[in-house]
Amino acid sequence: MTEFLNLMLEPLQEVFLKFKVFLPNLLAMLVILLVGILLAKILRIILVKLLIAVKFDSWSDRMGFTALIRKGDVWTKPSAILGAIMFWLLAIVTLMVGLSALKVAAIDQVVGHFFGYMPRVFSASIILVVGYILAGFVSRAVLITAANSGFHYAKLLAETVRVLLAVMTLAMVMEQLKIAPNIVIAAFSIIFGGIVVALSIAFGVGGIGVAKRMIEREATEKTAEEPKDEIEHI
Amino acid sequence: MSNVTFRAEIHDQIEKAGNTDIIVGIPSFNNARTIGHVVRAVQAGLAKYFPDHKAVIVNSDGGSSDGTMEVVHKTSVEDFNAILLHHRVKPISKLAFSYSGIPGKGSAFRSIFEIAQRLEAKACVVVDSDLRSITPEWIELLVKPVLIGGFDYVAPLYHRHKFDGTITNSIVYPLTRTLYGKRLRQPIGGDFGFSGKLARFYLTKDVWESDVARFGIDIWMTTTAIANGFKVAQSFLGAKIHDAKDPGADLSNMLYQVVSATFDLMENYADVWVPIRGSEPVTTFGFEYTVGLEHVSVNTARMLKLFRESLNNLREIWLDILGAGDLREVERLGTLSDAEFDFPLSLWTRIIYDYALAFHQKKLPTEHLIKSLTPLYVGKTASFILAAEHMEAVEAEAEIEKLCLEFESSKDYLATRWK
Repeated sequence: MTEFLNLMLEPLQEVFLKFKVFLPNLLAMLVILLVGILLAKILRIILVKLLIAVKFDSWSDRMGFTALIRKGDVWTKPSAILGAIMFWLLAIVTLMVGLSALKVAAIDQVVGHFFGYMPRVFSASIILVVGYILAGFVSRAVLITAANSGFHYAKLLAETVRVLLAVMTLAMVMEQLKIAPNIVIAAFSIIFGGIVVALSIAFGVGGIGVAKRMIEREATEKTAEEPKDEIEHI
Repeated sequence: MSNVTFRAEIHDQIEKAGNTDIIVGIPSFNNARTIGHVVRAVQAGLAKYFPDHKAVIVNSDGGSSDGTMEVVHKTSVEDFNAILLHHRVKPISKLAFSYSGIPGKGSAFRSIFEIAQRLEAKACVVVDSDLRSITPEWIELLVKPVLIGGFDYVAPLYHRHKFDGTITNSIVYPLTRTLYGKRLRQPIGGDFGFSGKLARFYLTKDVWESDVARFGIDIWMTTTAIANGFKVAQSFLGAKIHDAKDPGADLSNMLYQVVSATFDLMENYADVWVPIRGSEPVTTFGFEYTVGLEHVSVNTARMLKLFRESLNNLREIWLDILGAGDLREVERLGTLSDAEFDFPLSLWTRIIYDYALAFHQKKLPTEHLIKSLTPLYVGKTASFILAAEHMEAVEAEAEIEKLCLEFESSKDYLATRWK
């Protein structure tokens, strides 16, 4: 009977012993999660207050970020969005650190992969933000310069520049994140090359008449000897 | 802030010149064709009107490759009798050198201020090197108010064609007058007289690494003098005719340089201009006379086409700066025919104030912001030209006066929104 009882209790004892060894790790994970999430919440509050103090929301309005997120049907303030992004980023990092405290080989491997991937996510985010700002800046500069030169299609030209720069930025981001890099490069080359070829064909074949009219008009304007402005603005 | 370094030989010449009463500065860059006339007029002016004063002509050059400095060195008045000068004429020292620092008129002026300080000059004059209409009397009119009248700053007052100087007439003059309360008609004229005390004051300002060194020195000098309580006046100099400017010079670049410099100064002197209301005339020297001016041809149809095209292209930017109400008014203008086109003064005033506020609130990068004003400015200019086409110069000037009064009466709009 004793033998039978031993047979029954031994696995339980083993489980209990293993649990005794595992319990501190579990507790450590819970503490890490608790402290990490609390810290993430505090940091979110601090960040949002800081962003409000430096008028980040009005800066976002000017840079067009607000308009962009509104298009995605998000109606939260940009500062609150940035706060939430930071909170969730810290929460995920906390979760990963907490899981690694469990000292389970399989989980450790996943956590290792996660932290190995983080620098790529970080640089991809920077490329995305810089690319977005640059695309806005360059397309606005093109728009104003073209409009001041009296170019009728200034808006179209500026939008084209913006789309091309956005496509280029997205390709760079995908490449950085190593998301199907071969497909991304191939797709990027096809799209970019396609746009150039399409424009060439459109202007060269489809736009023969338009081009002819433009050249004729240009020639007529030159020969018409329009009076030149002699006004001194300063 | 006075840390301009001169080459050894220039330094020696400055030392040799010793204390001087009058400095005449001529900034230049590839002006060999015209600078000879300017130097002769200055020499004659100094000899005729200030024979008992020690004077130095300073040519601060931007690295000309056409021999501008050689022309300065070689030029002198051959026959003083021809200008009815019979008293003994002392030789007038000349200094010609390439200034150091950021390329631009501001850096050229800085060197002139520095020399004025070292030579303890009582009065200084700066004149453009491309002037064709300068006469010896200009020197008298710009120096005497300082030397004898006790003024610190003398701005020019010219007769110009009614269509010329439109950036001055529709933006800089009304705005400067309204902000600082002094009716200086040509705040960016380019030819000024000022006291040695003011030259020293200019040197204390930490602006010589900024855009003031490149462009905007004229409005900076005028505004700094007024806003810091220096005694200002203006002198009637007759017509201003200068060498033909580069026809390819981009209007929006010009607008950007002048308007950004003016708005920048609004930031610096907000405490001074916000409480000021109305304006007062300044003492004016010189004998005003009518000047025959060359015809100026302008293509208003092309200007209005640019304005109308931009309504579609720049709509979003203008909406952000002007707001929906004023944009609607601008759009209404776009529907008018050339003959009916009339840019209301009140709308133009609010547009300039809105741009100043947008600059203050940093709504857009400065260059984008101000360059987006170009089609509106072109529309306003076309409207003025259409209205003033058959007007006499006096009537055209009365139109500018109306605009100034509109700027003054609407100042609350700007002051209350400036936070």
